[in-house]
Amino acid sequence: MSVLARVFEEAGLTTVAFALVREHAERVQPPRALWVPFYFGYTMGKPDDPDFQHQVLAAALATLDAEAGPVLADYPEDAGPIGLPQASEVSASTNGDTVKPLDAADEITALRGYYERWQEQRGRTAVGVTGIPQRRFRGIIRFLEAYAERDDADMDERPADVSVPQFVRYCADDLKAFCYEARMAQRPNDTEADIHTWFWGETAVGSLIDSITQRLNSTGDAKLQATAYGLSR
Amino acid sequence: MPRLSVLSEVQRQMLQFFPCMEADGAPWSPLSKPLNQATAAIVTTAGLHLRDDKPFNRDHPGGESTYRVIPSDSDAANIVQSHFSIGFDRTAIYRDINITFPMDRVRELAERGVIGSVAPNHYSFMGALRDCTVVAEQTGPEVAQRLKAEGVDLVLLTPT
Repeated sequence: MSVLARVFEEAGLTTVAFALVREHAERVQPPRALWVPFYFGYTMGKPDDPDFQHQVLAAALATLDAEAGPVLADYPEDAGPIGLPQASEVSASTNGDTVKPLDAADEITALRGYYERWQEQRGRTAVGVTGIPQRRFRGIIRFLEAYAERDDADMDERPADVSVPQFVRYCADDLKAFCYEARMAQRPNDTEADIHTWFWGETAVGSLIDSITQRLNSTGDAKLQATAYGLSR
Repeated sequence: MPRLSVLSEVQRQMLQFFPCMEADGAPWSPLSKPLNQATAAIVTTAGLHLRDDKPFNRDHPGGESTYRVIPSDSDAANIVQSHFSIGFDRTAIYRDINITFPMDRVRELAERGVIGSVAPNHYSFMGALRDCTVVAEQTGPEVAQRLKAEGVDLVLLTPT
């Protein structure tokens, strides 16, 4: 991010960058940056809060007043979560005691009503990286179940220029978005940490993704392990 | 990001020793006109793209250093994310795309007269790259030229 700011400024454009890691901005030195003390994924501080987001933007635009740089200003107010549980932390805390649905495909079907409600309420969905309609997600589940067992599993819908491991990642991203959005419609007052804990600790889909991570990590193949790192950890 | 001091040792180490490009001093191109006459674009490293565009793909040589064009009048419903990292909380962007891509806020800034106008296009890159050479030397300068050709004065850069 800060590197692009330097490239653009060198080309004659005026830039204002947001920095999530202050220490990185100190090293890269973008011309003008506002460090925001928010967790990764929360650059503007609070989702669904236009007023707060405008305050953050105004603080960033204030760096334009400087006559010389680099300028690295600090946003003064904290907001949002400061960290979230990963899959391994959730399974360690539940010790595998949680009862989960037996079949991830049935779980998807059971969540569909909530997912569709979310989509209706919000007018958008983050599902869509695979290009496979959500009503055919049972097929994705069957593919991932096979991939959790063996390398040669594949799916007809995979584009020719996308490798199987990369397509597995797209499938996992779509399933996560589907489940998270369904859960946010089902339990609107849950915190982000509640939703992560539910997904990794209580769902069959979370367990399925984690089982693929474990298989890929055990192969010793660096490329597959890189895929695993993007599924769960 | 919360101060490194509040993070776990693993996260702190990863961030502290991340191989950033380093510099002393910065290039400097101040606005050549008042802010309320300037045309602004967003360039994000949140790995966003239009729903019918190609997702970011590491299989392609240099695929992580490519970029996507997002017309500024796009409907948020047509934008999805294929970011490689799972080191950020996606619940925020599931709720509100403006959390990392403040397209509605920038439009409002133009309506309020804070900025002059919104550029025809925003741009999106992949973030958290351990090697930024291609972005710094090829795709970044290419997008800079596109932005200039589109009359952009001010670029807001947003990570995730």
